[in-house]
Amino acid sequence: MTATTHTADHADEHHDHKPYGLSRWLFTTNHKDIGTMYLLFGLLMAIVGGFLSLGIRAELFMPGLQILQPETFNSFMTLHGLIMVFGAVMPVFVGFANWLIPMQIGAADMAFPRMNNWSFWMLPPAAILLAASFFVEGGAIQSGWTLYPPLFTQSGIAGDMTILAVHILGASSIMGSINIVTTVLNLRAPGMTLMKMPLFVWTWLITAYLLIAVMPVLAGAVTMLLTDRHFGTSFFNAAGGGDPTMFMHIFWFFGHPEVYIIILPAFGIVSQIIPAFSRKPLFGYASMVYATASIAILSFIVWGHHMFTVGMPAAGQLFFMYATMLIAVPTGVKVFNWIATMWRGSLTFETPMLWALGFLFMFTMGGFTGLVLAITPVDITLHNSYYVVAHFHYTMVAGASFAIFGGVYYWWPKWTGKMYNESAGKLHFWWTTIGFNLTFFPQHFLGLAGMPRRIPDYALQFAEWNMISSIGAFFLAAGQIFFMITLYMSYKSGQPAKDKQWEGADSLEWTHLPSPAPYHTFEVQPVLK
Amino acid sequence: MRDAFKAVLWSFFGVRKRAEYEADQRRLKPAQIIGAGVVCALVFVIALYLLVRAVVTM
Repeated sequence: MTATTHTADHADEHHDHKPYGLSRWLFTTNHKDIGTMYLLFGLLMAIVGGFLSLGIRAELFMPGLQILQPETFNSFMTLHGLIMVFGAVMPVFVGFANWLIPMQIGAADMAFPRMNNWSFWMLPPAAILLAASFFVEGGAIQSGWTLYPPLFTQSGIAGDMTILAVHILGASSIMGSINIVTTVLNLRAPGMTLMKMPLFVWTWLITAYLLIAVMPVLAGAVTMLLTDRHFGTSFFNAAGGGDPTMFMHIFWFFGHPEVYIIILPAFGIVSQIIPAFSRKPLFGYASMVYATASIAILSFIVWGHHMFTVGMPAAGQLFFMYATMLIAVPTGVKVFNWIATMWRGSLTFETPMLWALGFLFMFTMGGFTGLVLAITPVDITLHNSYYVVAHFHYTMVAGASFAIFGGVYYWWPKWTGKMYNESAGKLHFWWTTIGFNLTFFPQHFLGLAGMPRRIPDYALQFAEWNMISSIGAFFLAAGQIFFMITLYMSYKSGQPAKDKQWEGADSLEWTHLPSPAPYHTFEVQPVLK
Repeated sequence: MRDAFKAVLWSFFGVRKRAEYEADQRRLKPAQIIGAGVVCALVFVIALYLLVRAVVTM
């Protein structure tokens, strides 16, 4: 634990006492190293998940079966979802948390650095299990990321590999969350009261509580699947007195808070970027904190909207419909606060701000289609159609991923000490925005016209929009290759970044630390007034 | 405790006067806010349930 043994000053930048070689990464307890590994792992998984989505879109380019057999198509679709949610978006946000939370609250590191290492190193075995399940007898699971029985129960050994992977990923998330909660509650610098914390820290604190609450529920659900498969239980088997609908309830009791686990850290990132480029403090900071907490609480009472069509009393449908529509209130508060932050601010539109604005515009669209789907009678028509696919990609890609891109560009100078290429960043933003809308906007039309999701072949009347959507997907993917190339070039030969690269940024990593952030920071905590 | 409920109910609406917010900061502990929040969430769920029952039996 060198972190506690030597004093903090900027000379650390040159005498950082970090180990080198493979052991640095294997045994590291440094939050920045672990954050970097999470980010790179998430990137790698996003490439794998993206490859699977291109397989899906290639098959759907025109009617008929051309590239993938229906079984393989289903596996691609399932693993695309699982990998993107559990392998890409969540680890990337944990990467952000690792890098930023200690720096933003003035702590030397996370509260449990060794557990932090372990949380990360559990991920690769889970990823290998998921990837390897393609190559076992019967192929990867085909039930969709929701793992619904009875289809899931009938999977080959890939089913067990997936269950184990989900268990490992869940354990990793719980450990990461305990670490974040403990760090935020115990290691804040003197003077950094809870209501002075940057909003990114707040959103992650609430997210961590959500994770601790719902990950065990998912673990329970998949354990019941395991015992149904191998130990003669009938939790979800109607023939044995069980009920497959119960799985859906349990899964979505986890699954809906999971949606907010994914989007709340995105809200946090956007809440850092918009004030910085508006050169104004965040409008309604306290109401943003309260709204985040409200969203988290409400997220536990809306799960039934995922299953309006499975058979539910009218009273249940109404309850879930009302509760779901009410989530729009705190979410609306956030959107209005971001807009009010920009109101009469000195706005500039550097790359991170473009991503934040893209997030604001398109996530709101995803939110509105969510409201449409919350209306039970409408959902009964649109359930399991491409409209749903369009809706959640507007929240997951234009929401979570746009915030991730914005965050990467925003903190890149602090992480690497190098400035990215502004023109390339802007080009990447517009490339992605156009590609994304080309891919997913037509899917609203397909859904409204009646195209079901999760099918490898479709009726002829859906051909045109599917073709446009597939072209958009490949265009979108090409943009991400461009992104990786420009960031790599910036890492190798970018202009040196300033310590406070963004004049409007006011959190500790910008005001108290040089760029790049030294290996060890805040060994002596700053005292804040 | 009344102040804690007031703060939580305003936060359900999402807006709070700055002076009131600053006063909350001084007089309320986090535990009070969390307690009031959990109670309000329960009341909210029960109110929704009663509303649904009223609509269904109409």
